[in-house]
Amino acid sequence: MKSILKIALGIIAALGGFLDIGDIVFNTQAGALFRYDLLWAVALGTLGIAVYAEMCGRVAAVTGRPVFDVIRMRLGFGLGLTALVASTVVNLLTVAAELGGLAIILQLLFDAEFSLFVVLAAIGLVIVVALLPFGGIERLFGYCGLLMIVFVATAINQGPDWGAVAHGFVPSLSSSTLYLYFVVGVFAAALMPYEVHFYSSGAVEEHWDESSLTENRLNAIIGYALGGVLACSLIVVSGYLFHPLGVEPGDLGTAALPAQNAYGETGLLLALGGIMFCVGGAAVDSSFSASYNLAQFLGWEWGRYRGPKKAPRFTASWLVFLFLAMLVVLSGINPVEITEYSVVFAVVALPMTYLPVLLIAGDRSFMGTHANGPISRTLGWAYFALIIVLALAAVPLLLATNGGGG
Amino acid sequence: MQSRRRRPGVAATAVALGVSLILLSGCGDLSRDELTRGVESIAALAAQGQLVANGVARDATKSTYARVMAKTLGGEAEHEAEKLADAEPSPQVRPERNAAVQVATELADLFSELQTFPGDERHGALVEQHMGEVEAQAEALVERLGGDAG
Amino acid sequence: MNREPRSVAHRLLDEQILDSEGRRCGRVDDIELRGNPPRITALLVGEGLYPRRLPVRLRGLARRLSGPERWGANALRIPWEEVDEIGASVILRGKAEELGLGGGDNPERWLVRRLPWN
Repeated sequence: MKSILKIALGIIAALGGFLDIGDIVFNTQAGALFRYDLLWAVALGTLGIAVYAEMCGRVAAVTGRPVFDVIRMRLGFGLGLTALVASTVVNLLTVAAELGGLAIILQLLFDAEFSLFVVLAAIGLVIVVALLPFGGIERLFGYCGLLMIVFVATAINQGPDWGAVAHGFVPSLSSSTLYLYFVVGVFAAALMPYEVHFYSSGAVEEHWDESSLTENRLNAIIGYALGGVLACSLIVVSGYLFHPLGVEPGDLGTAALPAQNAYGETGLLLALGGIMFCVGGAAVDSSFSASYNLAQFLGWEWGRYRGPKKAPRFTASWLVFLFLAMLVVLSGINPVEITEYSVVFAVVALPMTYLPVLLIAGDRSFMGTHANGPISRTLGWAYFALIIVLALAAVPLLLATNGGGG
Repeated sequence: MQSRRRRPGVAATAVALGVSLILLSGCGDLSRDELTRGVESIAALAAQGQLVANGVARDATKSTYARVMAKTLGGEAEHEAEKLADAEPSPQVRPERNAAVQVATELADLFSELQTFPGDERHGALVEQHMGEVEAQAEALVERLGGDAG
Repeated sequence: MNREPRSVAHRLLDEQILDSEGRRCGRVDDIELRGNPPRITALLVGEGLYPRRLPVRLRGLARRLSGPERWGANALRIPWEEVDEIGASVILRGKAEELGLGGGDNPERWLVRRLPWN
């Protein structure tokens, strides 16, 4: 009974922590531009992250190896270093985007100077991380991220043409480069690598072993599937309200308008609160991910559970990454723009960190009986092929559409 | 296969035309398409502004949210106005360009109003109504630009 | 350890090293093979060993970043006898400090002492 509760709570935390600024920005814009037509891309990306995360979690539970341990082992020093550098750049951009997003929400709630909120947000995150144990951090942001359910409620309240919504789940392609850019963007935002790297390191932090495999599978399947529902609801509410009006949601605050429209001030506050915790949690996850990757690759002691005294380099690197991200935001680049770059570059770098995990997850000499079964193998390789295509298309599409500007 | 007897004058004229076209389409020149795009984004800002104003009008929003949104969106309207005003329009679209700048400026003023009175329901209702009119003006402008094909 | 030294070496390269207390103290950055037929005589650890793992063109830059190989400083030699167990990590018989490993996380190091929480 206790373990069912533990698993359920884990799923809830995974659900609440599913969205980040990339999902919010891309899905809101996708809905406004294309109504419900990109729902299939969200679903595809959600399944993708479930597949990737399940493999990473399984590898970590069975072998004790988080992602960058696998990468150093499988790719060696040279190639592994390339993956590390790429991953670190992407993570830094992501932390900056999330931190910027957090500051924007704080500004919408408390109206003061943006830079002030950037610094306060960074300090706030340090305090939260310093005071809470690893599990507590995840639960705090995960449970509070559930406020995003207001978007599902809004979607139902709006009463869209559900037939048209269902039709949006049927994959369709268009020759419009803007459409294709958003296919890549929406998919990539759902499959951000830092989430999975964090998840695999978290598995080691929480001392997962073979008995945790069920929990891992349920997290991935149920937790992320429900997260996908949240992500889809962003497109639906935006498609219903913004598309007919021709609204172009270029600001983060715009995402909350549908909730305000449906439920007034309460809806607005739930939406802003939900976004705040999603983005804040993502800032922690992506910054931790950067430190995890570095420490694991170089063989340093690492882990929130070890504490700053036993893992000083890991802790110091985390502070440095947070500080650098803060500088990026303070430099004045629009956080929404940073978000777009972080998502696009993330999918470009994704194959490098995906393939080694896929190979190890399927390798019996490492995984024993827990190696990839036929479903994982098929899905795993199918997604690898898909990721390669998207990784190649991402930057050309970004340039062709002038950063989604059309 | 070009005939050697082709008059050199034709080639020179073609080059001159090509070069002047390139020069004319260079920096600062506002084409019909670019202007249409600009007006469309003004209409989009007006549409979004109405949603924000509507929240104020119904007392269904938080005043800090409305104020910050009005500031951000107003800044974008102003930026669009400046961008259109600074660019050199091709002569056929000059009157439309001037109209667009006026519309954008009016919209920026409405956002300023909302920024100053983010909690006032009456102001919110008025702003929402006027933004509706501005949006209609912008859309009419888009139609004019699309209709004057030629 | 009946397998061919070369395949064992291949398997060991880049693995995480743990000391007898389970402390992480670096990775196997290179392996020393001596004799004919070659046998593993030592594990090599340290940033000084990074340049030789990179393509030739990058070595100059790498050396400027991690410093030239200085044995005892940024390159350490762990004799093969110190290896206790090989699993998902290489587990050593002794403690990290005794072998000179994990120096970067050592609370006594000057930089670490200056961190605010120490």
